[in-house]
Amino acid sequence: MKTKTISAVARKEYYHLIRDFRSLYLAFAIPVILILLFGYALSLDVDNIRVAVVDYDRTDLSRDFLNSLSSSPYFLITGHLRDLESVSTELDYGRITLAIVIPPGWTGMIRSDKIAPLQIILDGSDPNFSNIARTYITAFVDRYNNRLFEDYLNRHTLGKIKPPLEGRIRVWFNEDLESRNFIIPGIIAIIIMIVGAILTSLVIAREFENGTMETIRSLPITASELLLGKSIPYFFIGLTDVLIAVLMSQILFGVVMKSSFLFMILASSLYLMVALALGLLISSVTKSQLIANQGAILLTYLPSLLLSDFIFPVTNMPKILQILTYLVPATYYVDILRGVYLKNLGFSEMWPNYAVLAVMVLMLMSLNIVTLRKEGL
Amino acid sequence: MILHSNKIKNFEKTNGDTFIEVVDLSIQYGGVWAAKDICLRIHKGEIFGIVGSDGAGKSTLLRAMATLIPPTTGHITIEKFDTSADRKFVKSILGYMPQRFALYPDLTVLENMEFFMDVFHMEKQKRGIMRNKFLAFTKLEPFSDRRAGDLSGGMKQKLGLACVLLHEPKVLILDEPTNGVDPLSRMEFWQMLTRMRNEDCMTIVVATSYLDEGEKCDRLALMHNSELIEVAAPVILRKGFADLEEAIIDRLTKTDRELAYDTFRR
Repeated sequence: MKTKTISAVARKEYYHLIRDFRSLYLAFAIPVILILLFGYALSLDVDNIRVAVVDYDRTDLSRDFLNSLSSSPYFLITGHLRDLESVSTELDYGRITLAIVIPPGWTGMIRSDKIAPLQIILDGSDPNFSNIARTYITAFVDRYNNRLFEDYLNRHTLGKIKPPLEGRIRVWFNEDLESRNFIIPGIIAIIIMIVGAILTSLVIAREFENGTMETIRSLPITASELLLGKSIPYFFIGLTDVLIAVLMSQILFGVVMKSSFLFMILASSLYLMVALALGLLISSVTKSQLIANQGAILLTYLPSLLLSDFIFPVTNMPKILQILTYLVPATYYVDILRGVYLKNLGFSEMWPNYAVLAVMVLMLMSLNIVTLRKEGL
Repeated sequence: MILHSNKIKNFEKTNGDTFIEVVDLSIQYGGVWAAKDICLRIHKGEIFGIVGSDGAGKSTLLRAMATLIPPTTGHITIEKFDTSADRKFVKSILGYMPQRFALYPDLTVLENMEFFMDVFHMEKQKRGIMRNKFLAFTKLEPFSDRRAGDLSGGMKQKLGLACVLLHEPKVLILDEPTNGVDPLSRMEFWQMLTRMRNEDCMTIVVATSYLDEGEKCDRLALMHNSELIEVAAPVILRKGFADLEEAIIDRLTKTDRELAYDTFRR
């Protein structure tokens, strides 16, 4: 392996890259677009649940109940409706997620120490959202219940009795439980795959399609020199994209690394190399830019998004898919990102992830070399 | 058998230094034999032409000489170096131009040349000299900043030639270099080849389907059905015939008849 030959290939590849408008666009617009899109549009947090209320009771107590509901940041009361029929219309049009119906004589039931029912209707068509909404409203009703219970105890001068258990919850790592704090760094895994694998998937197929592979074969260039030379320009583009993403998440969304930048850049380099090797392999196996491109999207981008524990929790998946996630490089990188951005972990906790990525690079590169040697290189 | 006697004749005719030696070369390619029992000696400083019908195995023979396909049996040496065992060295002393235009259309003339000089690790002072020499030689100076994809057919072939000459190879292997090129450019191209033979003692192996070009070769090899039928100077080949074309057609039909006869007898 000679560095001069590698740089010869790298230089040529750089010319191809700067002349190819589509690749350049993909390389620099994609990270910006994805960060903006995921950062602003994709939020897994639930607040401002739209609620409609029907108050058949109309007493001080029912009004107090609704007032404290509307003062919670999680709920937004969009309207006080007359009857159940209009509730059903609002739900049909999707204008509300939740409806609360206070039946007539509700306050009377409470005062006479009977159980007072409260009807809560939830729109289940978005199961994720309504599940969270259900948890919130249940918690809210519980709290209100406690307040009524304390009032009752005070009224009967039994104020000193307290419930025996009290859970004191403290959230670690992502204290505000803001999904954005993890989604934004997580997108870097997607960006690297797109830039690393989808761009390089074109690179060797192009040589086959142009007939220039025949020239390469006749020149003193070895398979590893060709692969390294072709990777270098894309490696730098990938790293630039990582920096763009890191800066954008910090400046636009205030998402800051808790651990050292060094861990981050080391992991990103390894993961980027996996992506590059994967793209090149797809390229030399398919020998067609079109098929390679499709293959790269299917084999790299989608698994990184779906099977990496980034957005969709792996623990909820069927066993076979769970096993499959071990083959997805993004799984390890996303885990490192979580360690760096949220948990302030160091090398002693995260080294297995680094090791797996390094092994993946070596294996893919050897596979690449074998494939190219078979092609007469 | 005629084929057998030819094989012996090819070796007997040797005069001058043998530069490329093909010994009992057979190549199986995708399940068929693309070359069968080929024996051949090419001398230093000659233009050696390979003619024959399409699919006769000319490209296969050239690609094997250029180290691109390993021989199934037999071997090829260039300047005593084996094309398989000493592949990397052989590559460094040869220039190969494939049949199809195989340069980068999105790179300029100069950038394409620079890639070749980079790959051969050429030193700085030498680069400028070689670049100018071959730009002038191929008359491509005015187009040095033009993208290779925007060149005419003839200019593309000249650029291809310039690129494979930059590292000063000792042998040139050209696969139908003037296919689809206009007559004037073809003539210029051949003038360049003859100049290189005369001035630099370059060994040139060229496959061609134009017999007027075959006439300009020092010796010609005639291939048919993956076999070598005859090797001789064009003057000897066309003795007793009106021109080279007739002579070659006559030999090809004769071989076909013999082949048909052999098959029939079996």
